[in-house]
Amino acid sequence: MGTDFEIWLVADSSPAGELFEFAFAEIDRIDASLSSYRATSEISRINRQAPVEPVTTDPETFGILRRSLEYSARTAGAFDITVGQLMRAWGFFRDQGRYPTDAELERARKRTGWEQVELDPGRRTVRFRRSGILLDLGASGKGYALDRVAALLRASGVDAVLLGAGQSTYVAVGSPPGAMAWRVNVPDPNDRSLTASSIGLCDAALSTSGSYEKFFAIGGKTYCHIVDPRTGRPVTGMLQATARVCSGEESDMLATAAFVTGTAGAADLIDEGPDRGLMLVTGDPANPEVGGLSWPDTAVAELRQEARGDD
Amino acid sequence: MIDRRAFVKAASTGAAVLGAGGLSLEAAARTLRQRATAPSDEVVVGVIGPGSRGKYMMRQMLRVPGVRIGAVCDVYEPRFAEANEVVGHAVPAFSDYRRMLDETDDLDAVLVATPLGLHADHVVAALDSGCHVYGEKAMGFTVADCDAITEAVGRSGRRFQVGQQYRYAPWYRQAVRRIQEGEIGEVTHIYAYWHRNYNWRRPVPDPSLERLINWRLYRENSGGLLAELGSHHLDVANWILGEMPARVIGNGGIDFYRDGRETFDNVQAIYTYPSGAKFMFSSLIGNQRTGFQIVVYGTGGTVELTLEDGHFFYEPARDNSAVPEELLAAGAPTGASLSTSGDMPYRGPGKLIEVPEDEVGDPNLLAAASFVESLRSDTRPFADERVGWETAVSIALGNAAAYEGDRVDFTDHVAAGETDETAR
Repeated sequence: MGTDFEIWLVADSSPAGELFEFAFAEIDRIDASLSSYRATSEISRINRQAPVEPVTTDPETFGILRRSLEYSARTAGAFDITVGQLMRAWGFFRDQGRYPTDAELERARKRTGWEQVELDPGRRTVRFRRSGILLDLGASGKGYALDRVAALLRASGVDAVLLGAGQSTYVAVGSPPGAMAWRVNVPDPNDRSLTASSIGLCDAALSTSGSYEKFFAIGGKTYCHIVDPRTGRPVTGMLQATARVCSGEESDMLATAAFVTGTAGAADLIDEGPDRGLMLVTGDPANPEVGGLSWPDTAVAELRQEARGDD
Repeated sequence: MIDRRAFVKAASTGAAVLGAGGLSLEAAARTLRQRATAPSDEVVVGVIGPGSRGKYMMRQMLRVPGVRIGAVCDVYEPRFAEANEVVGHAVPAFSDYRRMLDETDDLDAVLVATPLGLHADHVVAALDSGCHVYGEKAMGFTVADCDAITEAVGRSGRRFQVGQQYRYAPWYRQAVRRIQEGEIGEVTHIYAYWHRNYNWRRPVPDPSLERLINWRLYRENSGGLLAELGSHHLDVANWILGEMPARVIGNGGIDFYRDGRETFDNVQAIYTYPSGAKFMFSSLIGNQRTGFQIVVYGTGGTVELTLEDGHFFYEPARDNSAVPEELLAAGAPTGASLSTSGDMPYRGPGKLIEVPEDEVGDPNLLAAASFVESLRSDTRPFADERVGWETAVSIALGNAAAYEGDRVDFTDHVAAGETDETAR
C-alpha cells in the first residue's frame, strides 16, 4: 500500500517482539492482496480479468469491495475505488504528477465510476461493466489493514495499542497506562509543527486527508493528489479533512469523501454520535477556514483564533 | 466430482490411471477464469489445520470458481471462528480429523496444513478415505513418512499435490525452462538463502499452548528452518538439476535464541548431486540482508530468483569463444567507441525475467487453481507426490546431517534405485 506502518504496543517486553511480527505479517498479507502496485495482488488480478469475465474472489476481498461500493453510493461518488485511471492520468501512480491532455482526461473519466463494478454475492464474483476500470484501494486499504491488526492483537490479549499508517490513519485499542486515551494531534495545515486539534482515541479510529504531503505545481497553481472522482480533477479549495469514527476502514473512506465534498457536503456524510466527528480546513492556505462537525469545540475554536491571528 | 466412496471401491479393484506430465499454468489460468461451474464440478475441500498457513491457502482456494470449504478440523478451538471468518459463514468444525473424514460425506479434497510431524497421519488418512490431498510442504517429516504418503497415493488412486508453490510461479517456470535449455551453460552450483531478522516465534496466549503454537521450534514435529524455509529452495534445485542429491553435510546451532527452543536458530547445509552440482542453503534469523534468494551459477551465467522476480546475468565472453558465423559472413562493424554504460548486465542489474501479462499471478493462487484443475481433468499435478518425496526426503536427511554435524549418504537411507526411480 506504499506507506509506513507503525505500532505502539503496551505489553511485557517478552511477547512484544512476537506480537510485532504477528502484526506486520498480517499487514504484509493484506498488502499482498490489496496493493495496486503488485502485479500478483488479488486487486491486480481483478483489474486484469474483471473487464473480460466475472472473477471469483475470496470473502475478505469481496467484503472490502462491497463496503467500498456501498460507501460510494452513500457519498454519491465522492468516495470511489474506481479512481485508478484518473490517478494514472494525473501521474499520481508511482510518480509525482502531471497535467493530462483533455483527451487523456476524457478517456480516464470514461473509465471511472463505481456503478461500473458489478458484484454477485451469490457467486462471490466481481465484474466490470466496461473495459479499462482500475480499482485502487489506496484510500481505504490502510484503514482496513489496521482494523484487522487491531482485531488480531485484541484476540491475542493485547488491550492497549496504537496503530498508524503513514501518519494519515490511526486505530487505537484501549489506552496507554495512566491515560484515558491515546492522544493524536491533528496538525495545522499551514504550519504542521503546530497542533490544530488534539484528540483522544480509545477503541476508535482517525484518518486525515491533506493536500500538503503530495502535490505538484504547474504555472504557479498547485494540484493535490486527491482526485474528485465526480469531476476527474484534483480537489481544490481543501486543505485538510480529519475523520474520527469507530473503524479505520470507515475513517479512511469518510476523510477521503469529506475532502472531496468539502464543507458543503460534509454534513450529509456523518451521522450524529459521540464517537463520530469531522474536522475540515478549507480555503486558501494563507487564510484557512476551520470547521467541525461533532468535533470538540475547544480545539476548533483555538485554530479559528489562530487562523485569524488573534492572541 | 465423482462420489469418493464409489471411487475408493473402484480403485481397490484396479489401479487408477495416472495422466503423464504436469498441468500447464494456462490450465490453472483457465480454471480461474471459469464463468460458471457445473454442480458436478464443485470441489468441496476439508481443512485439517486452519492455522496461519491453512487460512492463507483457504483464501486462495476460495478464489477458484466452484470451490467450497466443507469442513475444518483443528485441536485449537479458536481456529474455528477464524476459519468461519475466512469462509464467510459457519462451516462444520471437528477436533478429530478421523471424525471429519468419516462424517463429512461430500468432501472431494483435503487441505493439510498441520505441523510437519503430523503430515503423514493426516495425509494418509485423507487419501485412504477417498479424498484428494493438497498437502503443505514438506510432504513428510521422515523418510518413512514420505514413503507412507507415496504408497497411500498409489493405493488410493487419489491425487496429491505438495505445497511447493514456486513450481507454479511464472518467473520460476520461465527461469527453469531457460536454464534447462542451456542459457547459462552447465549449472555447477546453486546457493540459496532465507535470512530473516526475528526470533521465529508466534505470540502465545497461554504458556500451556507454547508447543502447539510454536511447534516449529520443537523437534518433536518440526524440521526447523531447513524444512520450513529451505524446502522451497531445495525443491527448486531438484527441479533445475532434474535429480535429487546423493549426499549432504550439515551444520547449525542454537546460538542466538537460547529460549528453550530445540530446532536450530541458524542452519547451513551443502548437498552434492550425482552430477557433481552442489546446493548450499543458509538460513539466519538475526539478519535479513539477503532475504529470500536462490542464485543459480552456470558456466555461462547466473540466475537470481526471489519471492517476487528473477534476473539473468551473463558471464563475459571468453577468449576461446567460437567465432560467430555472422562475423565471418558479414564482417566486423566499426564506428564510434561504444558506450558500455547500461550495457553490462553482468555488473549491472541483470535482465529481468519478463512475465507476459496474461501469465502474471500469485504462485499460491496458481498452485490452488492448478490443484483444482488436476482433479477436474484427472491429470497428475505438477508438484505431485514424487516432487514432494524428493524434497522432503532430502530435507529429512539434511537435518540428520545438521543435527549430527556429519555427512549423510542418501544410499544409506533410501532403498537402492529409489532415488533414480523418483528422479525425473
